[in-house]
Amino acid sequence: MMDIQEVLTGEETEILQELMNIAFGKSAADLAQVIDTYVVLSVPFIKVMQVTDLPEYVKGHVRDYNKISLVEQKFWGRFRGDAILIFSSGSGKELVKMLQHEDGAGCESDPIDILESETLMEVGNILIGACVGRITELLKDVVTYTPPVVVVERNYYDAIAVNHFDPDKTAIVLKTDFTFKEGDVSGFLFLVTSNESIKWLKEALRLFLEQYE
Amino acid sequence: MSGTIKKILIVDDSPIARKMLKSCLPKDEGLEFHEAGDGKEGCEKYKCISPDVTFMDLTMPVMTGYEAIEEIIRHDRNALIIVVTADVQMKAIKTVLDLGAYMVLRKPLKKEELQAALIRAQDTLQKV
Repeated sequence: MMDIQEVLTGEETEILQELMNIAFGKSAADLAQVIDTYVVLSVPFIKVMQVTDLPEYVKGHVRDYNKISLVEQKFWGRFRGDAILIFSSGSGKELVKMLQHEDGAGCESDPIDILESETLMEVGNILIGACVGRITELLKDVVTYTPPVVVVERNYYDAIAVNHFDPDKTAIVLKTDFTFKEGDVSGFLFLVTSNESIKWLKEALRLFLEQYE
Repeated sequence: MSGTIKKILIVDDSPIARKMLKSCLPKDEGLEFHEAGDGKEGCEKYKCISPDVTFMDLTMPVMTGYEAIEEIIRHDRNALIIVVTADVQMKAIKTVLDLGAYMVLRKPLKKEELQAALIRAQDTLQKV
């Protein structure tokens, strides 16, 4: 596995970690406006690795989940990559219950699997959009997104397309995990950006810090 | 605790966040800075140096900012704790204010906001 120091300096890693912290805080606040819950945040973690090592790395974090649900969105601007939001088994159904409780009505005529997929897509859109949007805003970039892809309650290797990533690329993985205080919902958000963004990212991080010097 | 702000304690696990915060504070007023990398170290330093103002992050390893605020307020109910956090959920803000935090500032910090908070803290300090 590649050493993070070969790609980002210690200071660049710390800035990126702090930006992820700020950005996911915004995601949680946006989600808390839709669902009456408190999202317990964790200290974000940054790691650099070969893209081919990524599926096993992610697997290491979700090994306690017998099944997962996943929302994935690609984003591109000068900062580009994949956002992968992974929920523990049962989180989708729990989110459906929480959202139905919020609007007081629900859509009982819709089959549960469609409701679950739509709910995960909506929650994923909020969390990914707010997080990636805030990071890029702080780094003075603008990104566009592909529509979210949702995978509901699958085994890990069925959910993650192992051949999905270009094996020659380096990935900077920004990871944060979250738990809802009310309701049994938990998961991880991984932002994976590759070599194409590294040169721009290093310069953007330098400019960001310059405001504080 | 009375008079002017001299000693400031910054509690944040991110060295870069501590550096950013310090850069927003006035440099020519003879302030004395102390730093801690988690809530537990923050509590220990608080008890040791009795800062006039403490800046406290919330999401930290070892001991969270919530736990640290509780412990510091138990030790000194007049402690002036300014929470500086990325966690901008309303429930988080309400919780820390209920615990006894003086005010909440959102990350990333803006110099003007931080300096306004310090002026307000100074006024409060002079009334205590």
